Amino acid sequence: MSKINLSILLSIMSSMSYAGNIEVTVVDKQQNALPNVVVYLIPNGQSPLASADSISIMDQVNTQFHPHILAVQRNTQVSFPNSDSIQHHVYSFSAAKVFELELYKGLRANPLMFEKAGVVELGCNVHDWMLGYIYVVDTPYFSQTDALGKASVTLPDGEYALNAWHSRISDKPESFYLKVSIQGDKQVTMTVPSALLPDVNAYENSDNEFGDYE
Amino acid sequence: MSKVLFSRITLGFLALLMGQSALNAQQVSGLVQVNLVKADDLTPWLERGTGILAYQNDSLNLQQSLLNVQGKLASSVSYNVVANVYQQGEQHLGVTQAVIRYKPLSNSHTRFKARGGFFYPRMSLENVDIGWLSPYTYTQSAINSWIGEELRVAGVEASLYSAGRSRRSPLSWEVTGGLFKGNDTLGTVLSWRGFAMHDRQSLHNDRVNFADYPSVNDPNGIFHPSYVEPFHELDGRIGFYLGTHLSYYQRTQLRYYFYDNQADPNVVNHQRLYAWRTKFHSLAFSHDFTSDARLIAQWLTGSSAMGQRFVYINFDAWYLMYSHKFAAHRISLRYDDFKVREDDIFPMDMNNSNGRGVTLAWRYTINANWQLGLEQHVNRNQADIRSTLGESPQQDQQQTLAVVQFRWR
Repeated sequence: MSKINLSILLSIMSSMSYAGNIEVTVVDKQQNALPNVVVYLIPNGQSPLASADSISIMDQVNTQFHPHILAVQRNTQVSFPNSDSIQHHVYSFSAAKVFELELYKGLRANPLMFEKAGVVELGCNVHDWMLGYIYVVDTPYFSQTDALGKASVTLPDGEYALNAWHSRISDKPESFYLKVSIQGDKQVTMTVPSALLPDVNAYENSDNEFGDYE
Repeated sequence: MSKVLFSRITLGFLALLMGQSALNAQQVSGLVQVNLVKADDLTPWLERGTGILAYQNDSLNLQQSLLNVQGKLASSVSYNVVANVYQQGEQHLGVTQAVIRYKPLSNSHTRFKARGGFFYPRMSLENVDIGWLSPYTYTQSAINSWIGEELRVAGVEASLYSAGRSRRSPLSWEVTGGLFKGNDTLGTVLSWRGFAMHDRQSLHNDRVNFADYPSVNDPNGIFHPSYVEPFHELDGRIGFYLGTHLSYYQRTQLRYYFYDNQADPNVVNHQRLYAWRTKFHSLAFSHDFTSDARLIAQWLTGSSAMGQRFVYINFDAWYLMYSHKFAAHRISLRYDDFKVREDDIFPMDMNNSNGRGVTLAWRYTINANWQLGLEQHVNRNQADIRSTLGESPQQDQQQTLAVVQFRWR
């Protein structure tokens, strides 16, 4: 049986099976809740692909990437609108997606397809302090934690590997995943093993109305 | 660089921009400011008086009008030209900046960039709006009023920089250096008129007038015309500057520059304009207490020499400004202090001057295009050279401005 047929079959079987809801809380070693963490569950088996018309948005607002971290499923297209009245020049050197995109006011750039799983670190060659992330996951079962460090995902019953990623977490997701078995609703707490990397989100606190005349 | 050569380069550059505009997105933005002024009685230097404020009569004026054209020639190469129309001054149409920048994409923590053309070294944290204008006050600090009228470089600048956020650090830094020609007469206006406070930047082809001081244009004395053309190359020497920028997040910024035009002070041209050996240090600081409350300061200290010590001055100036934004309103208050002290062989040519000024401005941004503003400026300034014209050396000056601004981008 080809892989495509297998995935279709698994999709059908998944949709027929019972669904559960998993609530994940992500905390650091000091038990502080971590917001904006991408949590994703990889099923034991092939995950269904995103449909081709799925488009996510990574906007530029007040010379910042918005959202700061965007989680998408592999094979999702991401559109980069420019809500600022100035030009941006977005780029990535990350292995998961190397690209550069000139974003002019009033001109809409074509969306980009993100075909490889992994982290894509975004920069802007006009505004050096800008930094954003697209985290590409190879599963449809993902979410991001809220201000209380909680995220919930609805998914079919089954066996999964629960992973977490954030730009401040130095541990690789493979190094601290949890094996979870979903049968109905479930609550799980994930503790990040290592100390967090420094928080540099204060770069986003200034509206930078007047920064430089370069 | 001769004016003819500069004009040809500028026209060629503009032709290049027009030719490629269809291929790449080119952004044209601009700004016009019209003011109603209650002027001071003392005639300004622009009208060959000794006053240090720009307006002569209570009147309606075109304060600023500029076009800013910017775009890309390639992924790493961008350009930017600022063309201005001024009602005041000797020339009315010209270019204040024309720059080509090279900034390659890089994922290295330390990156390189360079630019060339006719531009300002980035010393000022006050002049951060389009066209090197101040978004805070209309009457700019004494330091940057002087830089706007006498300083520009025709040259190249190379920088190494590191953006803190990509290193997960709150600190960003840059070291920069420039080589230039065409700024040999720097210091002329400062030596005779002294510091002034205004927003009239000199155009590439400009001439800055000042009063007919007898000690300056006496054929048996210094014998210099009552003007300077600030962007002349007279001695063929290359000037340089070095600078460093440090910032803590986007919140606190510190910039230090050392500028030396390396001019040969004994070189004089057919107009009897001299090359002035001018060097100075500039230290600028800005700190945001909150996203609405900003403190800005700058200190400038240096010297200028002309001839065989015919004129030698030391100058010092500083300002402290607080600016606060209340929704669409911005209030800015600045205190200026400046002085010029001479130590030369012609005591009858008096170069000592000093002053203090307070500027309070309110600017209300109605929408993306329109802004209204009011500004009150007062100063007490002294220039000993006024006595050679029978004027009192010490003068109290004040000026009130009501300004309507239209901006598009």
